Amino acid sequence: MIEFRGVHKTYDNGTKALKDVNINIDKGEFVFIVGASGAGKSTFLKLIMREEVPNAGEVIVNGYKLSKLKRREIPYLRRTMGIVFQDFRLIPTMTVFDNVAFAMRVTGASKREVRKRVPYILGLVGLQNKARNFPQELSGGEQQRVSLARALVNNPSLIIADEPTGNIDPEMSYEIMELLTEINRRGTTILVVTHEHDLVQAFSRRVIVIDDGTVVSDVAGTAEPPAASAPSAGNAVVADVLDTIQDVPTEKESDTVDAVLADIIGRNGGDEQ
Amino acid sequence: MKFSSIGYLIKEGFRSIKQNGFMSVASILVLVSCLLLSGAAYLVFVNVEAGFDYAYDQNKAIVWAVETADDQALNVLENNLRGMNNVQDVFFRSKEDTLANYAGVVGDATFESLQGEDNPMLDGFEVTFKDLALFDETIQLIESLENVDDISYAEDVADTLVVIRQTVLTIAAWIILMLLLVSLFIISNTIKLTVYSRRLEIGIMKSVGATKMFIRFPFMVEGMVLGFAAGLLSFGVLYFVYTYLISSLSLGFITLANLSTIGMLGMPVWAELLVCFLLIGTLTGMLGSRHAIGRYLKEESGVNID
Ligand SMILES: Nc1ncnc2c1ncn2[C@@H]1O[C@H](COP(=O)(O)OP(=O)(O)OP(=O)(O)O)[C@@H](O)[C@H]1O
Ligand SMILES: [Mg+2]
Repeated sequence: MIEFRGVHKTYDNGTKALKDVNINIDKGEFVFIVGASGAGKSTFLKLIMREEVPNAGEVIVNGYKLSKLKRREIPYLRRTMGIVFQDFRLIPTMTVFDNVAFAMRVTGASKREVRKRVPYILGLVGLQNKARNFPQELSGGEQQRVSLARALVNNPSLIIADEPTGNIDPEMSYEIMELLTEINRRGTTILVVTHEHDLVQAFSRRVIVIDDGTVVSDVAGTAEPPAASAPSAGNAVVADVLDTIQDVPTEKESDTVDAVLADIIGRNGGDEQ
Repeated sequence: MKFSSIGYLIKEGFRSIKQNGFMSVASILVLVSCLLLSGAAYLVFVNVEAGFDYAYDQNKAIVWAVETADDQALNVLENNLRGMNNVQDVFFRSKEDTLANYAGVVGDATFESLQGEDNPMLDGFEVTFKDLALFDETIQLIESLENVDDISYAEDVADTLVVIRQTVLTIAAWIILMLLLVSLFIISNTIKLTVYSRRLEIGIMKSVGATKMFIRFPFMVEGMVLGFAAGLLSFGVLYFVYTYLISSLSLGFITLANLSTIGMLGMPVWAELLVCFLLIGTLTGMLGSRHAIGRYLKEESGVNID
Protein backbone atom coordinates (compact mmCIF):
# COMPACT_ATOMS: atom_id res chain seq x y z
CA MET A 1 0.00 0.00 0.00
CA ILE A 2 2.87 2.37 0.81
CA GLU A 3 6.32 1.91 -0.59
CA PHE A 4 9.43 4.07 -0.22
CA ARG A 5 12.23 3.26 -2.67
CA GLY A 6 15.56 4.92 -1.95
CA VAL A 7 13.85 8.12 -0.84
CA HIS A 8 15.95 11.17 -0.07
CA LYS A 9 14.46 14.45 1.08
CA THR A 10 16.53 17.58 1.48
CA TYR A 11 14.71 20.82 2.26
CA ASP A 12 15.54 24.02 0.42
CA ASN A 13 17.61 25.25 3.36
CA GLY A 14 19.86 22.21 3.06
CA THR A 15 18.41 20.15 5.92
CA LYS A 16 18.67 16.48 5.06
CA ALA A 17 15.40 15.25 6.55
CA LEU A 18 15.39 11.73 5.08
CA LYS A 19 18.26 9.67 3.72
CA ASP A 20 17.79 6.58 1.58
CA VAL A 21 14.57 5.38 3.13
CA ASN A 22 13.28 2.00 1.96
CA ILE A 23 10.02 0.92 3.53
CA ASN A 24 7.14 -1.26 2.55
CA ILE A 25 3.86 -1.08 4.38
CA ASP A 26 1.18 -3.53 3.34
CA LYS A 27 -2.52 -3.02 3.23
CA GLY A 28 -4.09 -3.66 6.60
CA GLU A 29 -0.96 -3.10 8.64
CA PHE A 30 -0.79 -1.12 11.88
CA VAL A 31 2.52 0.68 12.18
CA PHE A 32 4.03 2.84 14.89
CA ILE A 33 6.63 5.36 13.83
CA VAL A 34 8.92 6.57 16.57
CA GLY A 35 12.05 8.69 16.65
CA ALA A 36 13.61 11.75 18.16
CA SER A 37 12.31 15.22 17.48
CA GLY A 38 13.56 16.34 14.10
CA ALA A 39 14.29 12.76 13.06
CA GLY A 40 12.11 13.11 9.97
CA LYS A 41 8.83 11.49 11.00
CA SER A 42 6.61 14.30 9.82
CA THR A 43 8.59 14.54 6.61
CA PHE A 44 7.90 10.84 6.09
CA LEU A 45 4.16 11.49 6.46
CA LYS A 46 4.23 14.58 4.24
CA LEU A 47 5.79 12.56 1.45
CA ILE A 48 2.93 10.07 1.67
CA MET A 49 0.36 12.88 1.55
CA ARG A 50 2.24 14.49 -1.34
CA GLU A 51 2.71 17.69 0.62
CA GLU A 52 6.40 17.35 -0.12
CA VAL A 53 8.19 15.62 -2.99
CA PRO A 54 11.41 13.61 -2.64
CA ASN A 55 14.68 14.78 -4.18
CA ALA A 56 15.49 11.22 -5.12
CA GLY A 57 13.72 7.89 -5.00
CA GLU A 58 10.07 7.05 -5.38
CA VAL A 59 7.06 7.07 -3.08
CA ILE A 60 4.28 4.74 -4.14
CA VAL A 61 0.82 4.87 -2.55
CA ASN A 62 -1.98 2.51 -3.57
CA GLY A 63 0.11 1.55 -6.58
CA TYR A 64 0.44 5.15 -7.79
CA LYS A 65 3.88 6.65 -8.17
CA LEU A 66 3.38 10.02 -6.51
CA SER A 67 5.97 11.63 -8.79
CA LYS A 68 3.64 10.86 -11.71
CA LEU A 69 0.62 12.36 -10.00
CA LYS A 70 -0.77 15.50 -11.63
CA ARG A 71 -1.49 18.54 -9.50
CA ARG A 72 -5.24 18.27 -9.92
CA GLU A 73 -5.15 14.62 -8.87
CA ILE A 74 -3.66 15.39 -5.48
CA PRO A 75 -7.01 16.13 -3.78
CA TYR A 76 -8.22 12.67 -4.81
CA LEU A 77 -5.12 11.03 -3.36
CA ARG A 78 -5.71 12.83 -0.08
CA ARG A 79 -9.32 11.70 0.05
CA THR A 80 -8.13 8.11 0.26
CA MET A 81 -6.40 8.92 3.53
CA GLY A 82 -7.62 10.24 6.84
CA ILE A 83 -5.10 12.44 8.58
CA VAL A 84 -5.02 13.29 12.26
CA PHE A 85 -2.88 16.34 12.80
CA GLN A 86 -0.73 16.89 15.81
CA ASP A 87 -2.07 20.45 16.08
CA PHE A 88 -5.61 19.43 15.08
CA ARG A 89 -5.92 21.75 12.07
CA LEU A 90 -9.56 22.49 12.64
CA ILE A 91 -11.25 25.33 10.78
CA PRO A 92 -11.91 27.90 13.52
CA THR A 93 -15.01 29.40 11.90
CA MET A 94 -16.81 26.08 11.59
CA THR A 95 -18.58 24.08 14.26
CA VAL A 96 -17.37 20.63 15.25
CA PHE A 97 -20.11 19.16 13.09
CA ASP A 98 -19.12 21.23 10.04
CA ASN A 99 -15.44 20.52 10.50
CA VAL A 100 -16.07 16.82 10.31
CA ALA A 101 -18.71 17.22 7.63
CA PHE A 102 -16.33 19.26 5.50
CA ALA A 103 -14.20 16.21 4.73
CA MET A 104 -17.37 14.51 3.46
CA ARG A 105 -18.61 17.52 1.55
CA VAL A 106 -15.41 17.84 -0.49
CA THR A 107 -16.17 14.41 -1.88
CA GLY A 108 -19.62 15.57 -2.96
CA ALA A 109 -21.50 13.67 -0.27
CA SER A 110 -25.20 14.46 -0.07
CA LYS A 111 -26.82 16.34 2.81
CA ARG A 112 -28.55 13.18 3.90
CA GLU A 113 -25.36 11.16 4.02
CA VAL A 114 -23.65 13.91 6.00
CA ARG A 115 -26.48 14.14 8.51
CA LYS A 116 -26.44 10.41 9.02
CA ARG A 117 -22.72 9.79 9.17
CA VAL A 118 -21.28 12.73 11.10
CA PRO A 119 -23.20 12.20 14.35
CA TYR A 120 -22.29 8.53 14.24
CA ILE A 121 -18.57 9.31 13.94
CA LEU A 122 -18.76 12.00 16.63
CA GLY A 123 -20.36 9.36 18.85
CA LEU A 124 -17.45 7.02 18.20
CA VAL A 125 -14.98 9.56 19.58
CA GLY A 126 -17.32 10.57 22.39
CA LEU A 127 -18.17 14.06 21.13
CA GLN A 128 -21.85 13.69 20.28
CA ASN A 129 -22.70 16.53 22.68
CA LYS A 130 -20.18 18.96 21.23
CA ALA A 131 -21.42 19.01 17.63
CA ARG A 132 -22.61 22.63 17.82
CA ASN A 133 -19.48 23.93 19.55
CA PHE A 134 -16.65 25.76 17.86
CA PRO A 135 -13.09 24.38 18.12
CA GLN A 136 -11.92 27.14 20.47
CA GLU A 137 -14.63 26.12 22.93
CA LEU A 138 -13.10 22.66 23.27
CA SER A 139 -10.23 21.28 25.32
CA GLY A 140 -7.08 20.16 23.54
CA GLY A 141 -8.07 16.52 23.83
CA GLU A 142 -11.52 17.20 22.49
CA GLN A 143 -10.10 19.07 19.52
CA GLN A 144 -7.80 16.16 18.83
CA ARG A 145 -10.76 13.83 18.81
CA VAL A 146 -12.54 16.09 16.32
CA SER A 147 -9.45 15.81 14.14
CA LEU A 148 -9.65 12.04 14.51
CA ALA A 149 -13.36 12.04 13.68
CA ARG A 150 -12.65 14.01 10.51
CA ALA A 151 -9.96 11.50 9.57
CA LEU A 152 -12.40 8.62 10.04
CA VAL A 153 -15.50 10.04 8.48
CA ASN A 154 -14.81 9.07 4.87
CA ASN A 155 -13.89 5.51 5.76
CA PRO A 156 -10.41 5.95 4.31
CA SER A 157 -8.25 3.00 3.40
CA LEU A 158 -5.32 4.63 5.19
CA ILE A 159 -5.22 6.57 8.43
CA ILE A 160 -2.20 8.69 9.24
CA ALA A 161 -2.01 10.01 12.77
CA ASP A 162 0.74 12.38 13.89
CA GLU A 163 0.79 12.21 17.70
CA PRO A 164 -2.93 11.49 17.98
CA THR A 165 -2.74 11.06 21.71
CA GLY A 166 -0.44 13.96 22.51
CA ASN A 167 -3.03 16.00 24.41
CA ILE A 168 -5.11 13.24 25.83
CA ASP A 169 -5.04 11.64 29.25
CA PRO A 170 -3.75 8.04 29.31
CA GLU A 171 -7.20 6.54 29.67
CA MET A 172 -8.53 8.34 26.62
CA SER A 173 -5.33 7.55 24.74
CA TYR A 174 -5.97 3.87 25.22
CA GLU A 175 -9.53 4.27 24.13
CA ILE A 176 -8.43 6.00 20.96
CA MET A 177 -5.80 3.39 20.25
CA GLU A 178 -8.44 0.72 20.82
CA LEU A 179 -10.63 2.51 18.35
CA LEU A 180 -7.82 2.61 15.80
CA THR A 181 -7.17 -1.08 16.47
CA GLU A 182 -10.81 -1.84 15.83
CA ILE A 183 -10.72 0.15 12.59
CA ASN A 184 -7.53 -1.65 11.64
CA ARG A 185 -9.24 -4.97 12.28
CA ARG A 186 -11.66 -4.05 9.50
CA GLY A 187 -8.81 -3.72 7.05
CA THR A 188 -7.77 -0.08 7.27
CA THR A 189 -4.04 0.59 7.17
CA ILE A 190 -2.91 2.70 10.11
CA LEU A 191 0.24 4.77 10.65
CA VAL A 192 0.76 6.31 14.07
CA VAL A 193 3.57 8.64 15.05
CA THR A 194 3.92 8.69 18.79
CA HIS A 195 6.20 9.45 21.67
CA GLU A 196 4.26 7.37 24.15
CA HIS A 197 6.20 4.22 24.75
CA ASP A 198 3.41 2.82 26.92
CA LEU A 199 1.17 2.73 23.89
CA VAL A 200 3.80 1.20 21.64
CA GLN A 201 4.32 -1.36 24.32
CA ALA A 202 0.72 -2.16 24.98
CA PHE A 203 -0.24 -2.69 21.37
CA SER A 204 2.71 -4.79 20.20
CA ARG A 205 2.55 -3.66 16.59
CA ARG A 206 5.14 -3.10 13.94
CA VAL A 207 7.52 -0.33 15.02
CA ILE A 208 9.61 1.74 12.61
CA VAL A 209 12.30 3.78 14.29
CA ILE A 210 13.63 6.79 12.41
CA ASP A 211 16.79 8.44 13.63
CA ASP A 212 18.37 11.44 11.94
CA GLY A 213 16.60 10.78 8.64
CA THR A 214 17.42 7.09 8.50
CA VAL A 215 15.28 4.08 9.31
CA VAL A 216 17.34 2.38 12.00
CA SER A 217 14.86 -0.26 13.02
CA ASP A 218 11.79 -1.89 11.59
CA VAL A 219 10.32 -4.63 13.69
CA ALA A 220 7.18 -6.56 12.97
CA GLY A 221 4.60 -6.62 15.71
CA THR A 222 3.29 -9.69 17.42
CA ALA A 223 -0.27 -8.58 17.66
CA GLU A 224 -0.89 -9.22 13.98
CA PRO A 225 -3.17 -10.77 13.23
CA PRO A 226 -4.91 -9.50 16.32
CA ALA A 227 -4.82 -12.26 18.89
CA ALA A 228 -3.95 -12.80 22.50
CA SER A 229 -0.34 -13.43 21.68
CA ALA A 230 2.35 -13.39 24.31
CA PRO A 231 3.72 -9.88 24.35
CA SER A 232 6.98 -10.89 25.91
CA ALA A 233 8.19 -12.72 22.83
CA GLY A 234 7.60 -9.73 20.61
CA ASN A 235 9.14 -7.45 23.14
CA ALA A 236 12.26 -9.54 23.18
CA VAL A 237 12.68 -9.11 19.45
CA VAL A 238 12.10 -5.38 19.65
CA ALA A 239 14.55 -5.12 22.49
CA ASP A 240 17.08 -7.01 20.46
CA VAL A 241 16.89 -4.59 17.59
CA LEU A 242 16.69 -1.57 19.77
CA ASP A 243 19.87 -2.65 21.46
CA THR A 244 21.69 -2.21 18.22
CA ILE A 245 20.63 1.40 17.80
CA GLN A 246 23.58 3.65 18.22
CA ASP A 247 23.51 6.25 20.97
CA VAL A 248 21.22 4.11 23.02
CA PRO A 249 22.92 3.48 26.28
CA THR A 250 22.85 -0.24 26.69
CA GLU A 251 24.33 -0.45 30.13
CA LYS A 252 21.27 0.48 32.19
CA GLU A 253 18.20 -1.72 32.24
CA SER A 254 18.54 -2.44 28.57
CA ASP A 255 17.44 -5.96 29.12
CA THR A 256 13.83 -4.90 29.07
CA VAL A 257 12.25 -3.32 26.05
CA ASP A 258 10.29 -1.00 28.29
CA ALA A 259 13.45 0.56 29.46
CA VAL A 260 14.97 0.92 26.03
CA LEU A 261 11.85 2.46 24.60
CA ALA A 262 11.51 4.66 27.63
CA ASP A 263 15.06 5.73 27.10
CA ILE A 264 14.64 6.60 23.44
CA ILE A 265 11.29 8.19 23.88
CA GLY A 266 12.25 9.96 27.08
CA ARG A 267 15.25 11.45 25.31
CA ASN A 268 13.14 12.49 22.36
CA GLY A 269 10.62 14.13 24.62
CA GLY A 270 13.47 16.07 26.18
CA ASP A 271 14.70 17.24 22.79
CA GLU A 272 11.37 18.70 22.00
CA GLN A 273 11.37 21.21 24.81
CA MET B 1 -17.03 19.13 -7.92
CA LYS B 2 -20.43 17.57 -7.87
CA PHE B 3 -23.65 19.36 -8.58
CA SER B 4 -24.98 18.43 -5.14
CA SER B 5 -22.23 20.52 -3.57
CA ILE B 6 -23.36 23.77 -5.14
CA GLY B 7 -26.04 24.54 -2.58
CA TYR B 8 -23.58 24.03 0.24
CA LEU B 9 -20.88 26.11 -1.47
CA ILE B 10 -23.26 29.03 -2.08
CA LYS B 11 -24.30 28.91 1.57
CA GLU B 12 -20.63 28.94 2.52
CA GLY B 13 -20.16 32.09 0.44
CA PHE B 14 -22.90 33.89 2.35
CA ARG B 15 -21.56 32.61 5.67
CA SER B 16 -18.19 34.04 4.75
CA ILE B 17 -19.71 37.46 4.07
CA LYS B 18 -21.23 37.50 7.55
CA GLN B 19 -18.05 36.13 9.09
CA ASN B 20 -15.97 38.92 7.55
CA GLY B 21 -18.52 41.67 8.11
CA PHE B 22 -16.08 44.55 8.23
CA MET B 23 -14.18 43.48 5.15
CA SER B 24 -17.41 42.87 3.28
CA VAL B 25 -18.56 46.42 4.00
CA ALA B 26 -15.14 47.77 3.02
CA SER B 27 -15.18 45.90 -0.30
CA ILE B 28 -18.66 47.18 -1.10
CA LEU B 29 -17.71 50.77 -0.32
CA VAL B 30 -14.59 50.61 -2.48
CA LEU B 31 -16.55 49.23 -5.38
CA VAL B 32 -19.38 51.72 -4.87
CA SER B 33 -17.01 54.68 -5.03
CA CYS B 34 -15.46 53.42 -8.25
CA LEU B 35 -18.81 52.69 -9.82
CA LEU B 36 -20.14 56.10 -8.78
CA LEU B 37 -17.20 57.85 -10.42
CA SER B 38 -17.54 55.77 -13.58
CA GLY B 39 -21.28 56.33 -13.59
CA ALA B 40 -20.85 60.07 -13.13
CA ALA B 41 -18.37 60.14 -16.01
CA TYR B 42 -20.91 58.31 -18.12
CA LEU B 43 -23.71 60.71 -17.21
CA VAL B 44 -21.52 63.68 -18.12
CA PHE B 45 -20.91 61.97 -21.42
CA VAL B 46 -24.60 61.33 -21.98
CA ASN B 47 -25.35 64.98 -21.24
CA VAL B 48 -22.71 66.22 -23.63
CA GLU B 49 -24.17 63.90 -26.22
CA ALA B 50 -27.64 65.23 -25.59
CA GLY B 51 -26.29 68.77 -25.94
CA PHE B 52 -24.72 67.87 -29.26
CA ASP B 53 -27.86 66.26 -30.51
CA TYR B 54 -29.59 69.52 -29.78
CA ALA B 55 -26.87 71.41 -31.63
CA TYR B 56 -27.16 69.06 -34.55
CA ASP B 57 -30.88 69.55 -34.66
CA GLN B 58 -30.23 73.24 -35.22
CA ASN B 59 -28.00 72.38 -38.08
CA LYS B 60 -29.29 73.23 -41.44
CA ALA B 61 -28.21 74.89 -44.63
CA ILE B 62 -29.67 77.81 -46.50
CA VAL B 63 -29.76 77.38 -50.22
CA TRP B 64 -29.70 80.76 -51.99
CA ALA B 65 -31.32 80.98 -55.40
CA VAL B 66 -29.71 82.98 -58.18
CA GLU B 67 -30.90 86.56 -58.44
CA THR B 68 -32.54 85.91 -61.80
CA ALA B 69 -34.70 83.06 -60.61
CA ASP B 70 -38.39 83.71 -61.09
CA ASP B 71 -41.28 82.08 -59.23
CA GLN B 72 -41.31 79.23 -61.72
CA ALA B 73 -37.61 78.51 -61.18
CA LEU B 74 -38.01 78.79 -57.42
CA ASN B 75 -40.81 76.21 -57.47
CA VAL B 76 -38.68 73.81 -59.47
CA LEU B 77 -35.80 74.28 -57.06
CA GLU B 78 -38.03 73.72 -54.04
CA ASN B 79 -39.42 70.55 -55.55
CA ASN B 80 -35.93 69.34 -56.38
CA LEU B 81 -34.83 69.97 -52.82
CA ARG B 82 -37.84 68.18 -51.39
CA GLY B 83 -37.15 65.25 -53.65
CA MET B 84 -33.74 64.58 -52.12
CA ASN B 85 -33.37 61.57 -49.85
CA ASN B 86 -31.54 63.25 -47.01
CA VAL B 87 -33.72 66.33 -46.84
CA GLN B 88 -36.04 66.53 -43.88
CA ASP B 89 -37.77 69.79 -44.51
CA VAL B 90 -37.67 72.83 -46.73
CA PHE B 91 -38.85 76.33 -45.84
CA PHE B 92 -38.96 79.22 -48.25
CA ARG B 93 -37.19 82.38 -47.10
CA SER B 94 -38.02 85.38 -49.26
CA LYS B 95 -35.45 88.11 -49.57
CA GLU B 96 -37.89 90.40 -47.75
CA ASP B 97 -37.92 88.02 -44.77
CA THR B 98 -34.18 87.89 -44.77
CA LEU B 99 -33.84 91.64 -44.89
CA ALA B 100 -36.38 92.03 -42.10
CA ASN B 101 -34.42 89.51 -40.09
CA TYR B 102 -31.23 91.49 -40.43
CA ALA B 103 -33.06 94.69 -39.76
CA GLY B 104 -34.34 93.21 -36.58
CA VAL B 105 -30.83 92.41 -35.47
CA VAL B 106 -28.93 95.49 -36.59
CA GLY B 107 -31.56 98.20 -36.34
CA ASP B 108 -34.39 99.36 -38.58
CA ALA B 109 -32.97 102.68 -39.75
CA THR B 110 -30.06 101.30 -41.70
CA PHE B 111 -32.26 99.10 -43.81
CA GLU B 112 -35.07 101.52 -44.62
CA SER B 113 -33.46 102.52 -47.91
CA LEU B 114 -32.94 98.96 -49.05
CA GLN B 115 -36.59 97.97 -49.26
CA GLY B 116 -38.26 96.93 -52.50
CA GLU B 117 -36.25 96.98 -55.70
CA ASP B 118 -33.06 97.86 -53.86
CA ASN B 119 -33.19 94.76 -51.69
CA PRO B 120 -29.71 93.19 -51.97
CA MET B 121 -30.80 89.90 -50.43
CA LEU B 122 -31.59 86.70 -52.32
CA ASP B 123 -34.55 84.38 -52.10
CA GLY B 124 -33.60 81.12 -50.46
CA PHE B 125 -34.68 77.87 -48.88
CA GLU B 126 -33.96 76.74 -45.36
CA VAL B 127 -33.16 73.03 -45.64
CA THR B 128 -32.86 70.65 -42.68
CA PHE B 129 -31.22 67.28 -43.06
CA LYS B 130 -32.16 63.85 -41.82
CA ASP B 131 -28.69 62.38 -41.36
CA LEU B 132 -25.79 64.58 -40.50
CA ALA B 133 -23.30 61.97 -41.61
CA LEU B 134 -24.43 62.54 -45.22
CA PHE B 135 -24.05 66.30 -44.84
CA ASP B 136 -21.16 66.77 -47.30
CA GLU B 137 -22.68 64.59 -50.01
CA THR B 138 -26.02 66.33 -49.74
CA ILE B 139 -24.40 69.75 -49.99
CA GLN B 140 -22.60 68.63 -53.15
CA LEU B 141 -25.86 67.39 -54.65
CA ILE B 142 -27.58 70.67 -53.90
CA GLU B 143 -24.72 72.63 -55.47
CA SER B 144 -25.28 70.73 -58.72
CA LEU B 145 -28.93 71.80 -58.87
CA GLU B 146 -30.03 74.50 -61.27
CA ASN B 147 -30.53 78.09 -60.13
CA VAL B 148 -28.48 77.63 -56.96
CA ASP B 149 -26.31 80.64 -56.27
CA ASP B 150 -24.71 79.67 -52.98
CA ILE B 151 -25.24 77.57 -49.93
CA SER B 152 -24.68 78.82 -46.40
CA TYR B 153 -23.99 76.29 -43.74
CA ALA B 154 -22.00 76.07 -40.53
CA GLU B 155 -19.48 73.58 -41.86
CA ASP B 156 -16.92 74.49 -39.25
CA VAL B 157 -19.43 74.17 -36.45
CA ALA B 158 -20.42 70.71 -37.64
CA ASP B 159 -16.81 69.62 -37.90
CA THR B 160 -15.90 71.05 -34.51
CA LEU B 161 -18.88 69.36 -32.94
CA VAL B 162 -17.75 66.02 -34.32
CA VAL B 163 -14.23 66.53 -32.96
CA ILE B 164 -15.39 67.65 -29.52
CA ARG B 165 -17.82 64.80 -29.34
CA GLN B 166 -15.11 62.31 -30.23
CA THR B 167 -12.79 63.81 -27.62
CA VAL B 168 -15.39 63.69 -24.87
CA LEU B 169 -16.22 60.14 -25.80
CA THR B 170 -12.56 59.10 -25.65
CA ILE B 171 -11.90 60.83 -22.35
CA ALA B 172 -15.03 59.40 -20.75
CA ALA B 173 -14.15 55.92 -21.99
CA TRP B 174 -10.63 56.19 -20.57
CA ILE B 175 -11.85 57.49 -17.24
CA ILE B 176 -14.32 54.63 -16.99
CA LEU B 177 -11.70 52.07 -18.01
CA MET B 178 -9.14 53.39 -15.51
CA LEU B 179 -11.68 53.42 -12.70
CA LEU B 180 -12.68 49.87 -13.49
CA LEU B 181 -9.07 48.70 -13.41
CA VAL B 182 -8.53 50.56 -10.15
CA SER B 183 -11.61 48.97 -8.62
CA LEU B 184 -10.54 45.53 -9.80
CA PHE B 185 -7.16 46.10 -8.15
CA ILE B 186 -8.58 47.46 -4.90
CA ILE B 187 -11.26 44.80 -4.69
CA SER B 188 -8.68 42.11 -5.26
CA ASN B 189 -6.51 43.53 -2.51
CA THR B 190 -9.38 43.95 -0.10
CA ILE B 191 -10.37 40.35 -0.61
CA LYS B 192 -6.71 39.35 -0.34
CA LEU B 193 -6.73 40.69 3.19
CA THR B 194 -9.59 38.43 4.14
CA VAL B 195 -8.04 35.54 2.28
CA TYR B 196 -4.70 36.10 3.94
CA SER B 197 -6.30 35.72 7.32
CA ARG B 198 -7.89 32.53 6.04
CA ARG B 199 -4.89 30.90 4.41
CA LEU B 200 -4.71 28.41 7.26
CA GLU B 201 -8.30 27.50 6.52
CA ILE B 202 -7.47 27.08 2.83
CA GLY B 203 -4.49 24.88 3.74
CA ILE B 204 -6.67 22.68 5.91
CA MET B 205 -9.24 22.36 3.17
CA LYS B 206 -6.54 21.25 0.77
CA SER B 207 -5.16 18.71 3.19
CA VAL B 208 -8.52 16.99 3.53
CA GLY B 209 -8.78 16.67 -0.23
CA ALA B 210 -10.74 19.71 -1.37
CA THR B 211 -10.26 20.55 -5.03
CA LYS B 212 -9.33 24.07 -6.11
CA MET B 213 -12.80 24.68 -7.43
CA PHE B 214 -14.37 23.57 -4.14
CA ILE B 215 -12.24 26.05 -2.20
CA ARG B 216 -12.61 28.82 -4.73
CA PHE B 217 -16.35 28.62 -5.25
CA PRO B 218 -17.52 30.16 -1.94
CA PHE B 219 -14.98 32.96 -2.35
CA MET B 220 -16.34 33.68 -5.81
CA VAL B 221 -19.92 33.60 -4.56
CA GLU B 222 -18.86 36.03 -1.86
CA GLY B 223 -17.26 38.35 -4.43
CA MET B 224 -20.25 38.18 -6.75
CA VAL B 225 -22.75 38.92 -4.00
CA LEU B 226 -20.70 41.85 -2.72
CA GLY B 227 -20.25 43.13 -6.27
CA PHE B 228 -23.96 42.84 -7.02
CA ALA B 229 -24.82 44.69 -3.82
CA ALA B 230 -22.30 47.41 -4.70
CA GLY B 231 -23.83 47.74 -8.17
CA LEU B 232 -27.31 48.11 -6.76
CA LEU B 233 -26.21 50.63 -4.15
CA SER B 234 -24.26 52.70 -6.66
CA PHE B 235 -27.21 52.83 -8.99
CA GLY B 236 -29.51 53.97 -6.20
CA VAL B 237 -27.16 56.73 -5.09
CA LEU B 238 -26.52 57.96 -8.62
CA TYR B 239 -30.20 57.91 -9.53
CA PHE B 240 -31.30 59.91 -6.52
CA VAL B 241 -28.48 62.44 -6.69
CA TYR B 242 -29.08 63.01 -10.41
CA THR B 243 -32.83 63.33 -10.23
CA TYR B 244 -32.40 65.63 -7.24
CA LEU B 245 -30.07 67.83 -9.29
CA ILE B 246 -32.49 67.95 -12.18
CA SER B 247 -35.62 68.64 -10.20
CA SER B 248 -34.53 70.97 -7.44
CA LEU B 249 -31.58 72.89 -8.86
CA SER B 250 -32.08 75.45 -11.55
CA LEU B 251 -28.89 74.99 -13.44
CA GLY B 252 -29.28 77.95 -15.77
CA PHE B 253 -27.83 77.32 -19.17
CA ILE B 254 -26.66 73.80 -18.29
CA THR B 255 -29.16 71.33 -19.64
CA LEU B 256 -29.18 68.08 -17.69
CA ALA B 257 -30.76 65.47 -19.85
CA ASN B 258 -33.77 63.84 -18.32
CA LEU B 259 -32.52 60.40 -19.05
CA SER B 260 -35.54 58.71 -20.48
CA THR B 261 -33.81 58.78 -23.85
CA ILE B 262 -32.07 55.87 -25.50
CA GLY B 263 -28.50 55.26 -24.35
CA MET B 264 -25.39 53.85 -25.96
CA LEU B 265 -26.55 50.25 -25.86
CA GLY B 266 -29.98 50.98 -27.24
CA MET B 267 -31.69 50.80 -23.85
CA PRO B 268 -33.08 53.68 -21.85
CA VAL B 269 -30.12 55.25 -20.09
CA TRP B 270 -31.12 54.33 -16.55
CA ALA B 271 -31.83 50.71 -17.45
CA GLU B 272 -28.53 50.59 -19.25
CA LEU B 273 -26.73 52.03 -16.24
CA LEU B 274 -28.37 49.55 -13.87
CA VAL B 275 -27.51 46.58 -16.05
CA CYS B 276 -23.92 47.80 -16.47
CA PHE B 277 -23.47 48.42 -12.73
CA LEU B 278 -24.78 45.01 -11.81
CA LEU B 279 -22.70 43.27 -14.46
CA ILE B 280 -19.53 45.20 -13.69
CA GLY B 281 -20.00 44.81 -9.93
CA THR B 282 -20.65 41.09 -10.13
CA LEU B 283 -17.80 40.44 -12.55
CA THR B 284 -15.34 42.61 -10.65
CA GLY B 285 -16.24 40.88 -7.40
CA MET B 286 -15.93 37.43 -8.92
CA LEU B 287 -12.67 38.03 -10.77
CA GLY B 288 -11.24 40.00 -7.85
CA SER B 289 -11.76 37.16 -5.40
CA ARG B 290 -10.63 34.56 -7.88
CA HIS B 291 -7.41 36.48 -8.36
CA ALA B 292 -7.01 37.05 -4.63
CA ILE B 293 -7.05 33.39 -3.62
CA GLY B 294 -5.05 32.18 -6.60
CA ARG B 295 -1.74 32.39 -4.80
CA TYR B 296 -2.78 30.40 -1.78
CA LEU B 297 -4.28 27.71 -3.93
CA LYS B 298 -1.01 27.26 -5.77
CA GLU B 299 1.12 26.65 -2.70
CA GLU B 300 2.17 23.02 -2.67
CA SER B 301 1.47 22.29 0.97
CA GLY B 302 -1.05 24.37 2.77
CA VAL B 303 -0.47 22.67 6.06
CA ASN B 304 2.59 21.81 8.04
CA ILE B 305 2.31 18.83 10.27
CA ASP B 306 4.61 18.98 13.25
N1 LIG C 1 9.72 23.00 5.60
C1 LIG C 1 10.95 22.72 6.09
N2 LIG C 1 12.00 23.43 5.65
C2 LIG C 1 13.23 23.16 6.11
N3 LIG C 1 13.52 22.23 7.00
C3 LIG C 1 12.52 21.48 7.48
C4 LIG C 1 11.17 21.70 7.05
N4 LIG C 1 10.37 20.82 7.69
C5 LIG C 1 11.19 20.10 8.48
N5 LIG C 1 12.46 20.49 8.35
C6 LIG C 1 13.62 19.91 9.01
O1 LIG C 1 13.69 18.56 8.65
C7 LIG C 1 14.04 17.75 9.75
C8 LIG C 1 12.99 16.69 9.98
O2 LIG C 1 11.78 17.35 10.36
P1 LIG C 1 10.44 16.59 10.73
O3 LIG C 1 9.38 17.61 10.88
O4 LIG C 1 10.22 15.54 9.72
O5 LIG C 1 10.79 15.96 12.13
P2 LIG C 1 9.88 15.10 13.12
O6 LIG C 1 10.51 13.77 13.23
O7 LIG C 1 8.49 15.16 12.71
O8 LIG C 1 10.06 15.89 14.50
P3 LIG C 1 8.97 16.08 15.70
O9 LIG C 1 8.95 14.81 16.46
O10 LIG C 1 9.56 17.18 16.50
O11 LIG C 1 7.69 16.43 15.09
C9 LIG C 1 14.22 18.70 10.93
O12 LIG C 1 15.60 18.98 11.07
C10 LIG C 1 13.48 19.94 10.51
O13 LIG C 1 14.10 21.07 11.06
MG1 LIG D 1 6.69 15.91 13.53
